[in-house]
Amino acid sequence: MSLIKCENLSKSYGSKLALDAVTLELKPGAPIALVGPNGAGKTTLFSLLCGYLLPSHGKVTIMGEKPGSRKLLGRVSSLPQDASLDPNLNLITQFILFGSLQGLTKSQAKAEGLRVLSLVGLSDVVEQKPTALSHGMSKRASIAQALIGSPQLVLLDEPTAGLDPVNAKVIRELVKSLSSNITFVISSHNLDELEKLCDQVIYLDQGKLGQSVSMQENLLDEYLTISMQECDNQALISRVEALTGINSVTLKQENEFLIHYAASEIKDIEVQLFTLFTRHGWRYKAILKGRTLEDKLFS
Amino acid sequence: MILEPNLNTGLVRNTLILAKFELKKLLFNPKGLIALIAFALVWMLILLYPIRGASDILLSPDFRQLIAGIFGESSVDKLFQWQVAEMAIFWVAALYLFPLFSIFVSADQFASDKSRGSFRFLILRTGRDSLFFGRFIGHMLIQSLLLMLTVAATILLALSRESSLLLPALSSGLVVFINIFIILLPYTALMALLSLYANSARQATIYAILLWAVSAIVIAIVNSQLPAVGELLSWILPGAQLSMMINTQGISSLIYAPIPLIQAGVLLFLGRSYMQRSSL
Repeated sequence: MSLIKCENLSKSYGSKLALDAVTLELKPGAPIALVGPNGAGKTTLFSLLCGYLLPSHGKVTIMGEKPGSRKLLGRVSSLPQDASLDPNLNLITQFILFGSLQGLTKSQAKAEGLRVLSLVGLSDVVEQKPTALSHGMSKRASIAQALIGSPQLVLLDEPTAGLDPVNAKVIRELVKSLSSNITFVISSHNLDELEKLCDQVIYLDQGKLGQSVSMQENLLDEYLTISMQECDNQALISRVEALTGINSVTLKQENEFLIHYAASEIKDIEVQLFTLFTRHGWRYKAILKGRTLEDKLFS
Repeated sequence: MILEPNLNTGLVRNTLILAKFELKKLLFNPKGLIALIAFALVWMLILLYPIRGASDILLSPDFRQLIAGIFGESSVDKLFQWQVAEMAIFWVAALYLFPLFSIFVSADQFASDKSRGSFRFLILRTGRDSLFFGRFIGHMLIQSLLLMLTVAATILLALSRESSLLLPALSSGLVVFINIFIILLPYTALMALLSLYANSARQATIYAILLWAVSAIVIAIVNSQLPAVGELLSWILPGAQLSMMINTQGISSLIYAPIPLIQAGVLLFLGRSYMQRSSL
């Protein structure tokens, strides 16, 4: 059964078309990324999936149900963009309310609130009001509320925006560790992060659905991306192109090269590259099977 | 440990959770307590002066003349027949002051939450109906608490003057409570609707003032051209029956109850429909 199904889904704000006839079907499983430039319609799509907005045209279902339906309560949760917790009430009071509304008893709701707040490293501030928290802490608290109970689908709109690198890593690891039980849909501008977390990437631009990219396809891709520490760029390009089975070598950015090859003609490309590097004293930083997400989406 | 919810996320259960939470927000939060203290101070002044000296005031010909001047001679005769004079003065004051309080107290049923996006945390856990009716019932609970406190204080004042008034004070206090509670229903329902539309409590209050002012002007104009239609329109706004209720006492005051009950029903229907369709 599909997790999310959109058929010709459109949403207009007055005369502005924010989402234009989007049709897509997503299955449960590994985290799914939603990317696109500012104003592409990502938050609108999230809001439609959560039932915050009603579509202007088309149809959307989650697990076969209309967003906002009673059957989905507690099964779908989200980190909405630009939504803040009640500034007058402390975190645990609000989390107890959330848990109670999801059907937990008061003591269960408190235990659950403490559990999810500890998952995001906020055990020490459960009695604090949101106004006493930094931006990053508020963001983590908002992520924590999305994990209350046993949601099957969690929509995270820019989960690591504004977080320091350490806490961003904590959130990434949290998503990874929970993704066997929960399907996450993550909207972000951080392509490196999405590359690490997600398998499927959905690209939206100007309200329209662009391409859908699978990171698993990287393994079948006849591309290699290498980042070098120091080398003679021109020499590297000419030496690698001289190898049998290499179609092209492109300098993508500072010391990063994209190699396109014919897998049928060159079986041991990695070994040949390492031999070449050793011979010329070139030191590499990273080698990636396939292309980076940025390359896949924008080249 | 992940706790399994018991899926008992019924409409009634969640409505009651949200209603109780509204009351809790008032009682266990500094802002709510400040509002409660301000309310108590205003009523303390009313209780200490006009209501405490009620028996003297009601016997004073000047006061009778003043009330008759404002509301008309024939419309206040019942006021002077109350067994508990304090309750008679309380009745007049509460009839007009509680609706006014209601506009301010219930102006933020939805506005702040909607503008800061807090609803988005709730709406994935409970239906829009629970949220709408939970907040409405919560605000009625808050006003009931305030009303109960002031009725109790009035009873105590009457007893401090004459201890034999216990039973009449209790019975008239109960009837006053029921009447004022019913009167507050359409005011609270109207503020629920306006605060769904407004971005802040202040804006909702301004909308309420504008609504009453514009409606009064429109009704006056219609009344001058088409008196029959004007008469009918004057029953639309909450509080239309208040001036007539002054000259009632006891159970007979409930004769006007259908008006606010119908108004509240219509306003709640409109508010619920708006809630179902609005973007959060």
